[in-house]
Amino acid sequence: MKFSKVAVLAATAALVFGACNATTGGKTLKIAIDLPLQGSDKAASDPIVNGVKLAIKEANAAGGLNGYTLTVDPILDDALNGAHDAQTGAKNMQTAVNDSAIGALIGPLNSSVAKAEIPITNKAGLLQCSPANTNEGLTKPQFGALDIRKDNPTKINYVRVVTTDDKQGPAAAQFAISVLKKTKAYVIDDTETFGKGIADNFVKEFGAEGGTVVARDGAPKSTTDYTALLTAAKAKGPDVVYFGGVTATGGGIIRKQMAQVGMADIPYIGPDGIQDGTVETSGTFLNIAGDAAKGSYSSLAAIGDFPAKKDFTDRYVKEYNVNPTGYSATGYACAQVVLEAVKQAVTKGGDNAALRESIRAYAVDPSHTYKTILGDIHFDENGDTSQLIVSFYKAPDPLKGDWVFDSQVDFAKK
Amino acid sequence: MAAPSAALTARPTPVRISRNVRMGILAMLWVVAFYALIGPQQVANALTLGAIYALIALGYTMVYGIIELINFAHGDVFMIGAFVAMFLTTNVLGIHGSINDPIRLTVTLVIVFAVTMTATSILGVAIERLAYRPLRHAPRLAPLITAIGVSFILQNVALFLFGPASVNTPQLINPGLHLDLLGASVAYVNIFIFVLAIVLMFALNLFVGRTRLGRAMRSTAQDPQASQLMGVDLNQTIAVTFLIGSALAGAAGVIQGIYLGSAKWDFGFNGGLKAFTAAVLGGIGNTTGAALGGFIIGFLEVAAASKGYGRWSEAIVFSVLIAVLIFRPAGLFGQQIGERA
Repeated sequence: MKFSKVAVLAATAALVFGACNATTGGKTLKIAIDLPLQGSDKAASDPIVNGVKLAIKEANAAGGLNGYTLTVDPILDDALNGAHDAQTGAKNMQTAVNDSAIGALIGPLNSSVAKAEIPITNKAGLLQCSPANTNEGLTKPQFGALDIRKDNPTKINYVRVVTTDDKQGPAAAQFAISVLKKTKAYVIDDTETFGKGIADNFVKEFGAEGGTVVARDGAPKSTTDYTALLTAAKAKGPDVVYFGGVTATGGGIIRKQMAQVGMADIPYIGPDGIQDGTVETSGTFLNIAGDAAKGSYSSLAAIGDFPAKKDFTDRYVKEYNVNPTGYSATGYACAQVVLEAVKQAVTKGGDNAALRESIRAYAVDPSHTYKTILGDIHFDENGDTSQLIVSFYKAPDPLKGDWVFDSQVDFAKK
Repeated sequence: MAAPSAALTARPTPVRISRNVRMGILAMLWVVAFYALIGPQQVANALTLGAIYALIALGYTMVYGIIELINFAHGDVFMIGAFVAMFLTTNVLGIHGSINDPIRLTVTLVIVFAVTMTATSILGVAIERLAYRPLRHAPRLAPLITAIGVSFILQNVALFLFGPASVNTPQLINPGLHLDLLGASVAYVNIFIFVLAIVLMFALNLFVGRTRLGRAMRSTAQDPQASQLMGVDLNQTIAVTFLIGSALAGAAGVIQGIYLGSAKWDFGFNGGLKAFTAAVLGGIGNTTGAALGGFIIGFLEVAAASKGYGRWSEAIVFSVLIAVLIFRPAGLFGQQIGERA
């Protein structure tokens, strides 16, 4: 009698446990996001958050993660007083690495923030996938990346699905010469790491492709009046203007003042830093430049025309009722990389710490190829994507809505 | 015997006029030199930029002349002025672009300038009353730190109300309308700004030189105790100084918005810094000096930018400032109002 009682108890316990398991859908694992969610950066971050959430939601619904359910949690904000902030990013990484339930992290948006974050996630061995960082120094040893991942220089933890500024800058030069057919460039940058770096890359390639840089200037983001610089540049007769920087460091204001000094007809090209949302959103390049935005082009360091685009757009619109913009597709792709790594890693089992390590180890392995919506990609030994494509977008005409895809340059085929 | 007496009678020539004429000639030579160096188009840019700096610099120099305070919040009053004008035109008057009808344009400009200048002068007087007057007899560092604090408060208020990104301001005067003038194609908005700045400066000059309150200001600058004994109301005089200085900063804010079409929460810092430099360059406490200092800095910046040294423009401006202060510690034009260092 006694024995059977115990058996019943055990059976009940097993039943209850099983039921519990069934209702929660197995074990859960957290995927964290870190992006600037305030001020002008918010317009660039929201599409990424949407992309990641969509990918995770679809994967959970489809099952196939070997009994695991993923949650997007926590969504960390690396902005301070309305602008992205490296120290806030570093603080967020401390939070993330100390939460053992977090299996991987997606973000950040800005290279300067990544530079402060990678040392922390690298030490802890937490996989980080960025949908938007383009600074070459974050990954490539010849640009000083070993200083950033000095705790585990060979056990990398940081990958990105966008290509780098040493591709983005030159791509703009090739676009100016072969698509726009322009040969005389005026180049101005915001004197910051990203802006000056990418402008330098543009200048080098523009010269190599047979163009002439008629003038080269730099003006810090505190500048409000660019008319003197632009008047001087106009006198040199450029037929294209390249700006190295972001909207917050003068991108839109320069374009606006170009119109004022009579340079509205000269095409204007900027990097991904000026592709930050629609005409109607306050604080974006298109909004600040206003009527002068016509004839402006911006690049994204990622593929713009991919086979799954139509399908992705449909699903995205169905979920959010807005069009996917900026880096929403790369956010989705980052989530796909993480999902695949999780799927493979959970078969090895182990506790949270072991799981985190197997996710990292699987994801960064150069021999693994990922089927993402951007196409099939793999990462090299530094964590850079094999897809070396930069795409170009044109300001909408008439001035309404978002940037319109124009063309793309593929460096892998060169 | 006749000769020396003639020399004696000839001596007290009206020094004031000859000094003004001298300055006028110097200013003309300066403009002509730059006209040759950077071309007519850039001279127009420099005069516009200089006019904005000069209007802000006047507020710094007047306050310093009267109470020896470097009012660091002054640049942010200028920034608030730009936002008041932005809010007034877009949200209250519902205007989002240029106005081509001259009568409507004039009326709008009068309303915008009047309201903005009134608002910033109230702000300036309130800052003086709440933050500086209680500290008037405190050690000099206390009001200085307070001024920096007020500057941060104003910046954060603007950040909170208008957000961190640049905010579009309607360019009321169509920036595409140009006038061919002395070999340059100058936008009407540039001409308007320059003329308005000169008119405001002359009005200030008349006010300080010809009115009772102006005389009270000058006497307070020379010796507050003695002027108080002579019946000058010290608090009123100081409040009027803040009122005028802040009104001019507000005008500069409106001008900046109309000219460049945007306002941002932190641009008071840069504008304030350059204007403060202009005031020191001209001789702080000296209104004519501050105005000319503003134009000099405008010219230096534009010259640097037009010659391809844009990256160095701030270094050039401050090198000139240091060089001037080494040889003329009281600034280029000395201290006209204040007698104290």
